Amino acid sequence: MENERQDYVLETRNICKNYALLKANDHISLKVRRNTIHAIVGENGAGKSTLMGILTNVVKPDMGDIILDGEKMNFKNPMDAAHHGIGMIYQEFMLAPRFTVFENIIVGFEEKKGVFVDRKKCRERVEAICERYHFALPLDELIDELPVSVLQQIEIVKVLYRGADLIIMDEPTSTLTPQGIEGLFDAMRVLKESGKTILFITHKLGEVFRVSDEISVLRDGKLVGTYQPQEVDQQKLANLMVGREVILQAHKLPVSAGQPVLEVKDLRVRDADGIERVKDANFEIRAGEIVGIAGVAGSGQQHLVEALFGLAKPEAGSVIRYLGDEVTGKSPRAHRADRVGYVPQDRIGMGCNVAASIWENAIMGYHRATGFHPKWLIPRRQAQEFTSRVVRDFDVKVQNLENHIGSLSGGNIQKLIVGREFSQNNRLLLIEDPTRGIDVGAIEYIWEKLIRFASEGAAVLLVSHDLNEVMQLSDRILVMYDGRLRDGGGHGELTEEQIGLLMMGGEVG
Amino acid sequence: MKKLRFTLSEDGKISLMKYGLSLVATLAVGAVMILLQGENPAAAFVEIFRGAFGSRAAIGNTLHWAVPCMLVGSAALVAFKSGVMNLGLEGQLYLGGFVAGCAGYMVSLPPVLHPLFCLLAGGLAGMLWAMLPAFLKLLFKVDEVITTLLLNYVAIFFTELLTLLVISGAKALGTNSIMTPLIHDSAKLTPLIPGTSATTGIFVAVAVVLCVYLLYRYTLTGYELKQVGENLKFARVGGVNANKMFIIIFLVSGFIAGLCGSAETIGVNNRFISRFSSNLGWDGVMITRVASNSPLGVLVVSLIWAAFKAGALHMERTTTLNRYIINLLQALFVLFISIDYGMLYRKYLGWRARKKMVEEEARKLEN
Repeated sequence: MENERQDYVLETRNICKNYALLKANDHISLKVRRNTIHAIVGENGAGKSTLMGILTNVVKPDMGDIILDGEKMNFKNPMDAAHHGIGMIYQEFMLAPRFTVFENIIVGFEEKKGVFVDRKKCRERVEAICERYHFALPLDELIDELPVSVLQQIEIVKVLYRGADLIIMDEPTSTLTPQGIEGLFDAMRVLKESGKTILFITHKLGEVFRVSDEISVLRDGKLVGTYQPQEVDQQKLANLMVGREVILQAHKLPVSAGQPVLEVKDLRVRDADGIERVKDANFEIRAGEIVGIAGVAGSGQQHLVEALFGLAKPEAGSVIRYLGDEVTGKSPRAHRADRVGYVPQDRIGMGCNVAASIWENAIMGYHRATGFHPKWLIPRRQAQEFTSRVVRDFDVKVQNLENHIGSLSGGNIQKLIVGREFSQNNRLLLIEDPTRGIDVGAIEYIWEKLIRFASEGAAVLLVSHDLNEVMQLSDRILVMYDGRLRDGGGHGELTEEQIGLLMMGGEVG
Repeated sequence: MKKLRFTLSEDGKISLMKYGLSLVATLAVGAVMILLQGENPAAAFVEIFRGAFGSRAAIGNTLHWAVPCMLVGSAALVAFKSGVMNLGLEGQLYLGGFVAGCAGYMVSLPPVLHPLFCLLAGGLAGMLWAMLPAFLKLLFKVDEVITTLLLNYVAIFFTELLTLLVISGAKALGTNSIMTPLIHDSAKLTPLIPGTSATTGIFVAVAVVLCVYLLYRYTLTGYELKQVGENLKFARVGGVNANKMFIIIFLVSGFIAGLCGSAETIGVNNRFISRFSSNLGWDGVMITRVASNSPLGVLVVSLIWAAFKAGALHMERTTTLNRYIINLLQALFVLFISIDYGMLYRKYLGWRARKKMVEEEARKLEN
């Protein structure tokens, strides 16, 4: 009995956490074996983040115990949890720009000589860690210019430096290229072999099977179960997560591309600092086509889309043609009137107004492009009809159209935003990360709608950081690297690895 | 198909709680203050009420004060609802007052037309004055908080200077105030209740509030104004011309503030008197804050504000209390209203759910 308990490095017993009307964690009793990579999967809102928050003591549980190395823990604050060997690597990196890699690693846990930082001793420790776990980090370089995969390694070294034995990684692969993901998995295996335990949080099921020793599934705040990789497969796991059958494959319809809807010639865009972020972009999208842009975050996708929608001013000499007419530099309002739709990546900051009601959010854009009768009024009946149509067609779960949109879940907000843009007879749709951070059910739904939307004759520019999404949906793929667009072939022409190579600036031979 | 309709949401409950709790808290703290000064709070509140509604004259006084409160409250609402910090209501009000005063004695028009002409002229003056910060913002990106605030001082001295120019430096007999000559009788707002200070200005004020209400509830412009205020990026992406909205906000807000100054000039003082406004512009900011930027709320809150103003003088006459205690009560009310009750309510719900769950656990363990 005693031996069996020692086998688990971490155990939670009946962890519960309630928010106002939501049971975020409902009696979660999880056991994590020592020296394993333990995957935790679940849809958004399944309670993964809350559970991790409780383990790191960022969130206080309502009840339940955390048992670490067979000992019941009573953390006083997040620092206390860190001192007990629980290290967390967040999705958004917690690194300070303008500081060196070395400084970022030791910050907060410096070795002291009196009141001064003992840089030499710190340095020795950091170097020892890098050597032991095979990380080659440019310790004296500034954080600013480093690629994402290196930043992630820095985060890992940081938690190791802090003495973590249990490392929690929250969606660590979401910003990496396929090559970067491979590197991360290698690092995870090395960590495991040298005695660490890793909690690997993800909702990408393919990755789970590549590294995990055990898989726990959360759904609606409850632990559905813990499984061995050999007893489940992707399909089964997806069903467990959602609680019903799901298909993770998009059903592309064959399309016959029509007239060019959008033509872009020599498009160049500078950001506020005068740095050229889009360099000589040339492409066109025809009616019925979905053109996908893949790329590592920050390669210029954002600036490209902003220029296309009139939110950013392109450089002189750039030409954007819409249905044959030049529209370079026209305002978003003019684009709306021309029936161009836009689903921004930042759905809370740009895609909706959280302070407003559901119907107010639903009619945005429509009120200008199509409008109501009479033209200068917003009659409640007509607004309600349009909103009801979006809500019905896109299966948005709402109780009352007057409620704040903030009362909806992320997936439902996204469905409403996408639905709003799809329901306005738009000829061209610029769409960024339509399924980021939403659950499998909603992804499936939006994908299907997107494909049908294009097949009805609209042109779609899909910018996504999820390579799988781009590959599944696009008729043609463009890869953006350092502001330049490169040809990623037609649907299914290149493999994931080849596109990954293009995303990193490599060549496909 | 499930039928979806508009009904009152949970926000209604929170609003109710917000006003109820704020009122109780204000009265409680106010009562302590009055007690500390050796007066009976209940008696003081009764005197305020009497001063506001106790007689025909009292009701007249309340209606008389309601006019500037509603107007300046609406002016502030238009700006603040759209996220524009127009702190220059005071200045816009002075310009309106001055121009209305001039229009009142320089021009001769038949009775009904004359006051309307004065109001319109005053409103336009306030509007022109508000264009200054609007253009400074659009052309040079100067923050409107700074420009509107400082232009208040400019407006006060500027109207004083203009008044001196108009009256050629001569002061009105027997006073130290700088003022324009009396306006013609044809320009005065007609008394509403004979023998009291209530005028037909109240109709103008209510009409303006109703217009603002209709603007936000039913028009495309009102919808866009609201979205610009609540999330500028969202509005831009949705095709709203934000710069145009910004100008509209300043023009409308300035126009209504100008109206307020005009109404004071032709309805109360019968002439423009420099420094006539007892910080009315700031009352507007408080009123719209208390009304949570709701036009109908402004109507109600303005009446309360006016009742306080009318009651304060009466209370001062009949008790030993100073009328400034009313300003204190008003400020306290604003303070309590500004608490985020929605957040408190959600916390309460969470606490209740947790308590219930722990109790259930305990019961399970016992069994």
